[in-house]
Amino acid sequence: MMKNAFQKLFPAILAILFYSVSSAQNYSGERRFDGHHENEVYGLLLGGYNTVTGAFVGESATYVRHLTDRWSIGCGEQVQCMKWLYSAEVMGTYRLPMGKKSNLYIDGRFIYNRYQRWKMNETIANLSFLLEWNYVDLRLGGSYIRYVMSGVKERFGYFTDAAYSEPVAMTFGLGVNLLERASKWNLGIYLRNYDQFYYENWNINWGVRFLATLTPEMKLLGEFNVRPAGNLSQVATRYETSMKIGVRYVW
Amino acid sequence: MKKSFCFLLTLIPLIVASCEKVSPIEVFVATVAVEDRVKMSNLYFKNHLDGKLWLLAEGDYSFIVGADSHITTDSGRMDEMLANGLEHDDLFYAHLGDIADTKAEYYITLDSLLKEAKARYVEKNFIKKDEFHYVYREDTAEDPITSTYDEILYPFFPVVGNHDVTHNGWALWSNIFHSSFYEIDVIVTLENGDYAFDHLIFLDSASATLGATQIDLIRQGILDGAYDDGSSIYRNTFVFTHTNIFRPQFFEFASTFPREETFFLLDQFEKWNVTCVFCGHVHTWDERDYNGVHYLTLDAMSERNNPEPGDYLIRLNVGADGSVDWEPVHMNYTPKKK
Repeated sequence: MMKNAFQKLFPAILAILFYSVSSAQNYSGERRFDGHHENEVYGLLLGGYNTVTGAFVGESATYVRHLTDRWSIGCGEQVQCMKWLYSAEVMGTYRLPMGKKSNLYIDGRFIYNRYQRWKMNETIANLSFLLEWNYVDLRLGGSYIRYVMSGVKERFGYFTDAAYSEPVAMTFGLGVNLLERASKWNLGIYLRNYDQFYYENWNINWGVRFLATLTPEMKLLGEFNVRPAGNLSQVATRYETSMKIGVRYVW
Repeated sequence: MKKSFCFLLTLIPLIVASCEKVSPIEVFVATVAVEDRVKMSNLYFKNHLDGKLWLLAEGDYSFIVGADSHITTDSGRMDEMLANGLEHDDLFYAHLGDIADTKAEYYITLDSLLKEAKARYVEKNFIKKDEFHYVYREDTAEDPITSTYDEILYPFFPVVGNHDVTHNGWALWSNIFHSSFYEIDVIVTLENGDYAFDHLIFLDSASATLGATQIDLIRQGILDGAYDDGSSIYRNTFVFTHTNIFRPQFFEFASTFPREETFFLLDQFEKWNVTCVFCGHVHTWDERDYNGVHYLTLDAMSERNNPEPGDYLIRLNVGADGSVDWEPVHMNYTPKKK
């Protein structure tokens, strides 16, 4: 029955995707190992509008392997067509239980982004701490970001390799869910300065996230994300709006 | 403990909300969008300035640049910058935004200051021909160009900063300066009678994004100045904008430009063959090269941020051969004691 419901929902999901604008990462469910399914895969479709690059659509896929009750590793990729953005990541997580319904996750992540439009290669190393309570989650951490513009430049007529390294940039995020984290469905709101494949400095994303259990192995999840520019310059301005929607499958 | 925490949680927003310089609402929604500013600027530029401003220079010339004056009741530093430029015979004076905090009385002070500075500039550089007309002192033509006082362009060119537009400050800023996105050609007469062209580009980056309209205009080539074969007509291009791209030091604020915007700008400056990009905003000095473009981020000239005398301005010297070098300009003014 749920399968049929999903089949009926699928065109609507696609319609939302292509009529909205896109991108995201922390969902409203539980992250910890459920004790039975060691493998998780997230497959998401995304679409959005960015002031610089215009409309874009894409996909992302993430695989997570729970090695033990505490340790997890994973990898992911993303393609954003029209934006010409290609991303890859590897990650590792250690979970520290903080009581019956709270956990502290220590996340290490290494991301590579290729902004093909500008021949820009961005690498990000991020270490952050995620405190997950029953209704609320808080992430704090830092990133080391380096970008290198490489390619043959018309002006110089030779290969250039201009690089810049951003000293440690702060990572922060706060999310609140409507229902308990273990609920079959959930809805939440968040503020944060990152997404799955980028870490901003002073621009605060905000949005709505949701999750619904379709089968014991499959959940529908997604986010509507608003990414303004200039928040902390007190001139928040439309920059990017996006939506991600997809499924999480465990086995 | 819980009570103290709740008290702090209540107190912090209250302090933030009551601070004159902070506009909490605009952390989430700005009152005037960059799209509106650029559309207004472009219309003004097209309709009132025929789409182009130009300055004339002979041989070598210089210009002075300052940033983040944040004028309130004390305009001493701004006065000093304009006086220094006049004394040195700089071709123009550029300001990188956050010129005054957004209160009507501060802008009245600024307006009066600029009017006085223009009067001094006209007195030094023009001869009164009759009751209403002036002639440029170095115009040696038999039939020199005459201008009314209002027609004389005072060469002070600012860009808009984020503190110029918070609290609906665009209404105040645009009332004096009109345009936040414009360009100027410097037409240089060389010794052999030839001409060279330098290009000044003023970008509106106060919102940490140029916005779709400004980006579209740039992509359409509104500022390119290229010959049919694609080569640039310009010898030097200088870009003036508020928001910094690079973070000066570990403990300073990073740029507020989002990722794609940063990469677009770095690429665009290289395409424009920019000699030097001038930024402000972060109130700290920084100098670096990236992909063949020189970036200078200026410290704040505001007496509240930097009360002690110091090198807060820079002067660029452009040689007759197009060579460029810069020097720091010392400011002596210290704030009035209250």
